[in-house]
Amino acid sequence: MIDVSSLSRQFGDHLAVDDVSFQVRPGRMTGFVGANGAGKTTTMRMIMGVLAPSAGEVRWNGEPITPETRRTFGYMPEERGLYPRMRIREQLVYFARLHGFSRTDAASRADDLLEHFGIVDRADDLLDDLSLGNQQRIQIAAALIHRPAALVLDEPFSGLDPLAVDAMVDLLRREAKDLPLLFSSHQLDLVERLCDDLVILSGGRLVAYGPVEELRGQGADRYRVVMDGSDAAWLRDLRGIEVRDVDGSTALVDLDGLTPTELTRAAVERGPIVEVSRARQPLSEIFREVIR
Amino acid sequence: MSTSTPARGAWRLVAEREISTRVREKSFIIGVLVTVVLVAGAVVAASLLSGRASTSDIAVVGPEASAIVQTADGGAIATSDNTSFEAQEYNTADEAEAAVRDEKVDAALVPADDGGFRIIGLTEVDSTTEQALTAAVSETVLQANAAQLDVDLSELSAGTTATTSVLEPAPEDDGGRYAVATVMVILFLLTVMIFGLQIAQSVTQEKESRVVEILAAAVPIRALLWGKIAGNTALALGQVVLVVVAGVGAALAMGETDFLGDVGWSLVWFLVLFLLGFIAMATLWAVAGSLAARVQDINSTTLPIQGLLFVPYLAVFMGNDTMTEVFSMIPISATMVMPMRLATETVPVWQLGVAIGGTIIAAALLVKLGVRIYERSLLRTGNKLGYREALSLSAD
Repeated sequence: MIDVSSLSRQFGDHLAVDDVSFQVRPGRMTGFVGANGAGKTTTMRMIMGVLAPSAGEVRWNGEPITPETRRTFGYMPEERGLYPRMRIREQLVYFARLHGFSRTDAASRADDLLEHFGIVDRADDLLDDLSLGNQQRIQIAAALIHRPAALVLDEPFSGLDPLAVDAMVDLLRREAKDLPLLFSSHQLDLVERLCDDLVILSGGRLVAYGPVEELRGQGADRYRVVMDGSDAAWLRDLRGIEVRDVDGSTALVDLDGLTPTELTRAAVERGPIVEVSRARQPLSEIFREVIR
Repeated sequence: MSTSTPARGAWRLVAEREISTRVREKSFIIGVLVTVVLVAGAVVAASLLSGRASTSDIAVVGPEASAIVQTADGGAIATSDNTSFEAQEYNTADEAEAAVRDEKVDAALVPADDGGFRIIGLTEVDSTTEQALTAAVSETVLQANAAQLDVDLSELSAGTTATTSVLEPAPEDDGGRYAVATVMVILFLLTVMIFGLQIAQSVTQEKESRVVEILAAAVPIRALLWGKIAGNTALALGQVVLVVVAGVGAALAMGETDFLGDVGWSLVWFLVLFLLGFIAMATLWAVAGSLAARVQDINSTTLPIQGLLFVPYLAVFMGNDTMTEVFSMIPISATMVMPMRLATETVPVWQLGVAIGGTIIAAALLVKLGVRIYERSLLRTGNKLGYREALSLSAD
């Protein structure tokens, strides 16, 4: 488990990360969300030891983290970095060996990852000659090459098409099933789909942190009522609810005393209905609310 | 969960990558080959020009003249000048003269009317030929006269020789020694410049392509620096050894063993000093590379290093002997100047000691300082850093 504890980082007068604490638990994907400049990359670089914190510390399984421990982590920096003029297989083997793999282990591991991405036939190509999507795959392969103990991935999905995203998600689920995995992303729908835990930063401060389900639960009990043809405006007169929005036969209401059963009964009494359903608060909405 | 442990010998892997990437570059291979061919070719050409064997054809009339030419051919003058004389027999002095006129022969040796001999040339008689023939004539005739008079020639000539000796002999073959010295200086300068720029560039490219962040997360930054220094030093030393071997091989093939005996030790010291000096310089180049944010910045961040290289170079070629002596002992500059002095003069042992000791200390200090700056500047990818700025950075 990665334990980020009261981490701060100052650049000159600017406090880029301000007293941020959260945990990245094993076996759970932790999404790291925030507007540009919120301090995500700075935090990740501090976790990886590429940048020293001004205050606070990172702990690993309860102990202060050491450079040796960090070297067992897999890291994908925000600004992609590999050798452009080096053959990709050779490159992966090199990184594996830097992490202490023997030549043969490194080679079979590299082949395994290349195979997963279906780019074995490009193994002897220079990185430069690959499409951006494939370059990204090599980048994630480089982060996974040494069977890391934890993963810190800065924007791993940016620039990927949906199919490539799926392939990468598959790989992460296979390789990092039991690992602490922290990844940042701007694609909230993706974060919503993948993440178990969520960390939201705004202006360098932690504004929300917890399991995604819980964070969503923090929003009001919101329901969508869709009438079959008739106008939904009558809901405005119903007691025990608060109407957020009415658009023709569809209405969005927050329960305020009324139970879901009572709401459904009232709707059925009013006329034929299409549905009464819980309107789960989309992540984007939570995001907008907490960073406001 | 994880099977990976940080590699202890990570610097070796870094060095290995530096080497394997470089030796696969066509430009590198071509550069090495061209240098080797140039140096070997220069040695062969110099050897041919300095001691080219020549043959002079001498037209002779009569068996006596023929014998004299033979004597001249085996004489000291012919040997020292690497010249051989060959007699072409003619029947009369006129025919011999005609042969000279038609340039069939280089000169003619004919009996003179007064009983001596006459050497005939076309426009002039080559001085070596003249001396060799004159000596041979006098030797042969003296011997003949002595025999006729029943005099022991060796007894007669006893005590007539004078030998010369000098107190401070100038090294033999001055030109060759200076040539070797110049080649060593230029070889060091070129190698350090070419490899140095290469080191700086590879560091900056790693910064620019951001691969450095992954590397830094995988291995200690000092391992990166050590690996770069080790790999490039091995390459540079390998190249220089190859060039020296090619030069020595060419000299051996040309039979210049005496000359090699004269300059051999300076070549050995050159390699020792080269190794030390290169390590020190490589550190500086790597640091210069780490200060640059983009490859374009390298020109300005490496400027101080280029100065460090060219100041002793200029001082030696434009300054006086005292200046050369001083620069031959200053660390790093010693790498260039000391082998040059060793090739051309007798250097006191203590001065060689100062040069080597100083360069070892300088290399150790520079590597230490280099690691310090490198660790601080390598991950600053934003913009170019100055040396002072880098030193004052906190350890991140």
